[in-house]
Amino acid sequence: MSAVVAPAQPAAVQRPTSSHALPIALAVATVAGLAVLLSRPPAPVPVLAAVTVLGAVLELTRRLRGQLAAAQELEAQRLELVSRGRSTADELEVATRMMRARAQTMTSVIDAVTEQSIIGTDPDGLIRVWNPGAERMLGLPRADVVRSRSITDFHAPEELGLEESPGTPAERFTSLVQGAREHGSDVRDWTYLTADGRRLTVSVAITPRTDDDGEQAGWNFVGTDMTEARAAERLKDQFVSLISHELRTPLSSILGYLELVMDDEEQPLTAEQRQYLGTVERNAQRLLRLVGDLLFTAQVDAGRFTLQPEDVDLAGVVRAAEETARVTAAARGVAVSVEAPATGPVVRGDALRLGQACDNLVSNAVKFTPGGGQVTLRLRQGWQHEDGTVGEQEVPGGRPVALLSVSDTGVGIPSGEQGQLFTSFFRASTARRNAVPGVGLGLTITKAITTAHGGTLDVSSVEGRGTTFTLTLPLDGVPAA
Amino acid sequence: MDRETGEAAARVLVADDEEDIRLLVTLAVRKAACTVVAAVADGPQALAAARAERPDLVVLDVSMPGATGLEVCAALREDPVTAGCRVLLLSAGASPDDVARGLAAGADAYLPKPFTVAALVGQVRSLAAAGSRA
Repeated sequence: MSAVVAPAQPAAVQRPTSSHALPIALAVATVAGLAVLLSRPPAPVPVLAAVTVLGAVLELTRRLRGQLAAAQELEAQRLELVSRGRSTADELEVATRMMRARAQTMTSVIDAVTEQSIIGTDPDGLIRVWNPGAERMLGLPRADVVRSRSITDFHAPEELGLEESPGTPAERFTSLVQGAREHGSDVRDWTYLTADGRRLTVSVAITPRTDDDGEQAGWNFVGTDMTEARAAERLKDQFVSLISHELRTPLSSILGYLELVMDDEEQPLTAEQRQYLGTVERNAQRLLRLVGDLLFTAQVDAGRFTLQPEDVDLAGVVRAAEETARVTAAARGVAVSVEAPATGPVVRGDALRLGQACDNLVSNAVKFTPGGGQVTLRLRQGWQHEDGTVGEQEVPGGRPVALLSVSDTGVGIPSGEQGQLFTSFFRASTARRNAVPGVGLGLTITKAITTAHGGTLDVSSVEGRGTTFTLTLPLDGVPAA
Repeated sequence: MDRETGEAAARVLVADDEEDIRLLVTLAVRKAACTVVAAVADGPQALAAARAERPDLVVLDVSMPGATGLEVCAALREDPVTAGCRVLLLSAGASPDDVARGLAAGADAYLPKPFTVAALVGQVRSLAAAGSRA
């Protein structure tokens, strides 16, 4: 009996070509089975056979329904996948458009830079990016350079740490990026060699470039031509040095001969003559200080300012500054007082320069304080907190510091001008209005000295009421020599 | 001859291209009870005078035409005839680097300009009293 229904089963079950094919096949099989039964003569067990066929049909129907459901589910999944695929394709297209736009923006920005060279290389130094600034600076078009030249071709070989031999291109490139490799980035002057043989002094910022996965894809070299600026700096240095020499030499004569005349015991001067020559000497000394300040400022600007470190008792420095200013202050009717311990605090520093810084502050305070006013020098130990603030109480983790402040009851400094006080040659409007003499170098120098000692110089001032400068020096640090 | 000690006064050569300074140094040397054997205006003259006069002390300006004071000083040290004399350098350069360069060239002392006459007299006396380097 099973042979009757068996042939229909594989065709109907295993190849459900569509959702309608299965019910049709099932119906055909059922009708065929019943027709066979009805066409035969009555048998001894016709009812049993019919039940068997019907059971098979029902089982087949159940299976087919399950497979139909599975097929429908698969179809739904297919449709879902198709939908998702379309969505992913759309997103991909949007992302691609955005990437293109971003790349276009970057390219247009890089191409818009004409005064700086922007050169990108692969990890080995082969040039991949060459902007119009690089074309202009080095005199070669992009097409002649990209993918064919190394960045080291444009660097003076003697600067790549290979004095005895030119080295291999890889060695030269390693030398070029060594600083950036060690510190993450590197900015310094390099000598670029142009296509027409010129040598340019270029300040180059070297940084590594990474891809989207964070892997290093190469290096960026952004250069600014400093040839003229550096030449101007050298000229300024030479000028200052020349002026210094040319002023110091005649001042030597003036002061030397003055000394001979004023100290001549065989031909003593009258009081009037002594007074006149005293004025000459005072002004010669003033010129000498100005020359010294100009030279010192040039040294600071050129980074050639060095300290001669030793243990310095700041109480001695403060008292010496008060003594230096005493005569001038008395002549102006300004009282000067000192609030300091007998000795200490002691800092590691340059005694001469610290004395100069303190003298500058006291001299300024006296100059800017009208007669009847008060200048106070205070010296005490304090503690610098981790956030940089300073207090007089010891705190855990605090750094011991010396606090040297000079306060006056003078004309004060307008709040809008206080930020420029430490700029060379800046003079506050109150100084100009009150015709206070000076060229605007004293605070620049004082700030440079303080910074070189690892300290800070702060100002608080109220116009018409007075000013306080506070010099904070670390007591646990050794300044750079 | 030193009036107080009876010893022969130290013989000093002065070299500076600035006439005013040259005279000032000469006066200071005399105040130090020393004898000025020659006062010259440039480096080559200073070398020639040193070899001819064999002074006890040479006071040299650093910035001089022909040869700088540093070059003259180095040449004096290389010549056995003048190697033992004392050298005092005068210069408008007053930085620690300037002083170090002067001492490295073989000078015994370095006095930045402008100097006081008293300081110069003190240096001359001190170097004259120290005698020859040899």
